[in-house]
Amino acid sequence: MKQIALYGKGGIGKSTTSANLSAALGARGLDVLQIGCDPKRDSTRMLMNGAWIPTVLDLVREKGEDGVSIDEVVREGFAGVRCVEAGGPEPGIGCAGRGIIATFRLLERLGALHGDVIVYDVLGDVVCGGFAMPMREGYAEEVYLVTSGELMSLYAANNIAKAVARLAKRSKQTCSLAGVICNAKNMAGEEELVREFAQRINSEMVAYIPRSRTVQLAEVHKQTVMEYAPDSEQAAVYRELAGRVLTNDRTSTPTPLEMDELEDLALQFAEI
Amino acid sequence: MNSKTLHSSSQRYEGCTLTGALSITAGVEDAVTVVHGPEGCAHHNVSLLHAVMAEQGRPAVPRIVPTGLSEQGVIFGGEEDLAATLRAVADKRPGVIFVLTTCITETIGDDAASVCSEDYGVPVVLLPTAGFLGGCFSDGLNAALTAMAGLADPVEEAGETVTVIGEKNLEYEVEENFTEVERLLASLGLEVGLRFVRDVRYADLKQVGAGRLNILREPSLAPVGEMLKERFGTPYISSFPIGLEGSTAFLEEVGVLLDLRAEEAVRQEEERQRAMLASFADLRGSVFSLDPMTFRALECTPVRRVMEALDLQVDSDDAGVSLPYSPPVGTAGIRRLLHRWRRRVRA
Ligand code: SF4
Repeated sequence: MKQIALYGKGGIGKSTTSANLSAALGARGLDVLQIGCDPKRDSTRMLMNGAWIPTVLDLVREKGEDGVSIDEVVREGFAGVRCVEAGGPEPGIGCAGRGIIATFRLLERLGALHGDVIVYDVLGDVVCGGFAMPMREGYAEEVYLVTSGELMSLYAANNIAKAVARLAKRSKQTCSLAGVICNAKNMAGEEELVREFAQRINSEMVAYIPRSRTVQLAEVHKQTVMEYAPDSEQAAVYRELAGRVLTNDRTSTPTPLEMDELEDLALQFAEI
Repeated sequence: MNSKTLHSSSQRYEGCTLTGALSITAGVEDAVTVVHGPEGCAHHNVSLLHAVMAEQGRPAVPRIVPTGLSEQGVIFGGEEDLAATLRAVADKRPGVIFVLTTCITETIGDDAASVCSEDYGVPVVLLPTAGFLGGCFSDGLNAALTAMAGLADPVEEAGETVTVIGEKNLEYEVEENFTEVERLLASLGLEVGLRFVRDVRYADLKQVGAGRLNILREPSLAPVGEMLKERFGTPYISSFPIGLEGSTAFLEEVGVLLDLRAEEAVRQEEERQRAMLASFADLRGSVFSLDPMTFRALECTPVRRVMEALDLQVDSDDAGVSLPYSPPVGTAGIRRLLHRWRRRVRA
């Protein structure tokens, strides 16, 4: 079983990437589980044709932990991908990180954590202990950083690299960096910048996903690209990513950059 | 610092803020204290208070109610649990509800203040103790006393009585110590009006500004003393009297602060002390063994003085006799100490 996690700045396209990756893996006949670890709970929507599936934490809130069954939290979507949303407390109250921890414990107890591939789609701006949970407790063994060439998303990716590096020092090391995915904004020099960034942090750019209108069109139709336009170029990109993820056996301990190194790097590639 | 394994050791300064605050709020007879946090935060405190209160001959179970936060409360926030608990407690019509927060609820950011500000039909007083985030035992104790002092009514004119502030409700000789202070004050013609906070009701708390003089249990309560001095102009003495010299100095200090003649009271007290020492003449020249707690007590100058006066010796080889951890209060405290030593010597 392969357990991967996609981390990255909010709004960078993690969910789109995760959902299309899961769909591509599912289309290969693999048993895939995608878990959205974001209180926004929109990770699996496109796999579910736009439906908001009930979240684990909403069910826990209503019925208590013991009242929740596996069928309620795991829903089957496109290409047979099994979908879970962790959910979270209402904004501004309680502890969402603790919610993620509780969700994982529950999924484990319900026997939901199985299959050929588990894809964890994790909100990446916040990496408190709770959100680092997928990496920390050995749920996600391979971490992919999703970023564009924009400084703020590189900054977030770099921060997550720090978390991975820190966790690598633990006595029971369970996760490592498996690569960087460039979800492009179509800036000049973007591909080179992200490739260089990946190398500097001791990793590799495993996919360059060009910005494409097909993604927006698929979204309007409440579908993944894999479902909406399976023959498109963009679908081919996701298929390639899926192949790459499946065969990828190069993982590393990242060497995160200092803030000024990161800024210098961005400056080097920026269009002036 | 925390090697308090002996029964005689009842000092708790390294404990949680909650324990400090509860040692005060539990002294208000018609109050219920709501601990906003997991059951455990309340439970171990209830056990502790109950055990110490029983030892003091008042076996009532302290009125403490936890909101009983579980992981669910932690994730989704505990404000609703707090409100529900307050409603349930208010139904029982206590004189006041004190609310203490724990490290858990402060960590997740519950807005206890706004929950407490709703109308429950009984007064609700929030003491944001915050568990470890709030500091330690003595911070909780000070915070509770200060908050309660803040409830005081304005006073026109100082009354006749003296107010005792911050007795150590979690100690073993609270009543004995109080009685001694009361006796010393009586020798100057003074009476204790309010024990802030022990054996009082919510309405009494409002009288805390009405005394002529405040007597703090110990110097670490100075912030409360200062606050009351600022607000009501009441002078304060920063500690209960310790040992023989402490007692006479106490009488003198009260005399100075209240403009009373203390010479006669001091003379009588010295007379009493001489007689008391004389009654222990049989101990003269005795040899004692030490235990760790005894050793602590011997560091206390007033205790050393008494040992010198009776020519007592220490032999460290033998198994020891245990003594009160905190310094003996007044002449009576020394007498109890000598009684214990006598029992030890004759055993
Ligand atoms: S330290 Fe925190 S968890 Fe422990 S009793 Fe105090 S408030 Fe409760």
